[in-house]
Amino acid sequence: MLKIKNINAVYGKIQILHRTSLHVREGEIVSLIGANGAGKTTLLNAISGLHPLESGGILFLDREIQDMKPDRIVGMGLIQVPETDKIFAPLTVLENLELGAYLRRLDRHVLKTEIEQVFSLFPILRDRGGRAAGTLSGGERQMLAFGRALMGKPKLLLLDEPSLGLAPVIVSEMFRIIESLNKMGTTILLVEQNAREALRISNRAYVMETGRIILTGAGVELLNNEEVKRAFLGTDYKEKWER
Amino acid sequence: MALFSPETETMNRCELLDLQNERLGILINHAYANVRFYRNQFDAAGLNPDDIKTLDDLKKIPFTTREDLMDNYPYGMFAVPLRDVVRLQFPLGHYGNPIVIGYTREDLKIWRELVARIMVGVGITEHDIIQVAFNYGLFMGAFRFNQGAELIGAAVVPASIAPADVQIRIMRDFRSTVLVSTPSFALHIIETMRTQGIDPKELSLKIGLFGAEPWPESARGIIEEGLGIKAYDIYGVTELIEPGISGECTEKAGLHIFEDHFFPEIIDPVTGQPLIEGEEGELVLTSLTTSAYPLLRYRTHDRTALCTKPCACGRTLVRMNRTFKRTDQMISVRGINVFPEMIAEVLSGIEGIGPEYSLAINQHAGMNDKLKICVEASPESMHGENEAALHEKVQSALRKALGLRVQVEMKKGSSLFLVDMV
Repeated sequence: MLKIKNINAVYGKIQILHRTSLHVREGEIVSLIGANGAGKTTLLNAISGLHPLESGGILFLDREIQDMKPDRIVGMGLIQVPETDKIFAPLTVLENLELGAYLRRLDRHVLKTEIEQVFSLFPILRDRGGRAAGTLSGGERQMLAFGRALMGKPKLLLLDEPSLGLAPVIVSEMFRIIESLNKMGTTILLVEQNAREALRISNRAYVMETGRIILTGAGVELLNNEEVKRAFLGTDYKEKWER
Repeated sequence: MALFSPETETMNRCELLDLQNERLGILINHAYANVRFYRNQFDAAGLNPDDIKTLDDLKKIPFTTREDLMDNYPYGMFAVPLRDVVRLQFPLGHYGNPIVIGYTREDLKIWRELVARIMVGVGITEHDIIQVAFNYGLFMGAFRFNQGAELIGAAVVPASIAPADVQIRIMRDFRSTVLVSTPSFALHIIETMRTQGIDPKELSLKIGLFGAEPWPESARGIIEEGLGIKAYDIYGVTELIEPGISGECTEKAGLHIFEDHFFPEIIDPVTGQPLIEGEEGELVLTSLTTSAYPLLRYRTHDRTALCTKPCACGRTLVRMNRTFKRTDQMISVRGINVFPEMIAEVLSGIEGIGPEYSLAINQHAGMNDKLKICVEASPESMHGENEAALHEKVQSALRKALGLRVQVEMKKGSSLFLVDMV
């Protein structure tokens, strides 16, 4: 469904992504894990057309999208839920959801049904419908961001740190929601620092370190990998033979 | 024909190339970051991991040789801490420093799957009873047949080194449908069946998987007729995985290399230059998914040629010709690899003989059957009792080192000598 081939990206003079390649098949949950500054968000932004590439290509549904405008990419069903500033704070919850379907130019009736579907997934949003999004709690904002993304009818959802800054109870709820979205047919590329939870729900995962993918494998297998533990928990080793 | 991983084994070759390139990128990062040998190799060649963008750039990387593995014994070539390693294997019969190869749980899982692919690709199913007559002590690959078979649900009889008459009895009583062994041992079984007056029709055998030594097409004919089976060739490389790199399909038109895990190149063994498809040269392999012991451009010393034309079996994976020749001095005798360097090393450790020696090989049905070593001895050591003791000493030292019974002949002085065939 998504295929990234050898992309390089820079911030000024600093190279952030080094010939990065990965792929996501339809129906999968694929995680991209790595420490702060590994280049994960840049990679998502590059996919969404928000960060220019130095070289390389991105294929979505067999079409090259690396030179497309972000709105066209969204129109194709590739939708990102950003890490920060995920919602329009001054607008109401309802208005945020309506904006999520903006590109689809739906008639009022259909729009209403789809908003109802989002409400049935996130009942708390129904209660908050008329309130300004800026007044929501962290968990509610995250749900609103999900809901708004769903209003765009995503085929592939890019999630950037959905568990960031959330209380532990809400975090597990968030991962449950991601799993159920996937079961309902949405393919997911998930960027997470909460590697344990992310790997648990993923079919496959890629591990990034300073702009390079250093490891790939099935989600559950990477959970016990020493390299992953080292990258996240700082349990380093001095000699290869240490056990 | 059924396949174990049809989505991979019949993958469009463009898709396959993308997958290989993605995996190569990760492997290069992994090897450069974690294996000092590769970091040094890259730095010495003025190479940055970012210079290796696709498989076309692979040729910039220097080869890895068996000597490199020996120099980095024991753990210098490991790319993961030992905590991630769940198996350590060392090939016997090597000269100089030994080598040790590590595997992570994931590496073993891949290996098991590749052996299962070979089995399913020749028509083995969960209904088969697979008799493995490899020496489990000398040939570590033998265990892989157990695991591959268990993955597809077939039954395994690890008959191992049971003598031929016992093997035949097991085949008949257990109704084994598949024989896995060296081709030499299959011939030995056939000869034993003849002396015992057993007709292959009394057996349930259908399929044979043979490897660990070169065997000509003529030997295939003898084995297929003598056992009433279809005989297939399998291929592996001890330093990577053996078996499991490639295997024949029912078309018998070359061995399909599992390119999603191993990238093959053919090079001119003298100049090291890559050769084009169809040209015969030395097979060089790069592991694309190996975590513990990744090898970049490993020289296998096996001579072969590649063919990417579609195969009637449906697999899109490249095929390699069957290998009969080496680009080094190694010889294979009844499935046991013998390095002349090892012989020289053994002889140099014994006083009163050498350094000159010569080798003679007796062939049976086109396969190496017996090894004879003719060695020079000093005149003093060739007196009466001394001679017999020395002869015994040389024979047992070679047997121990090579894992093979060797016929030894001692000759006085350093005159040039010719050896008669055994």
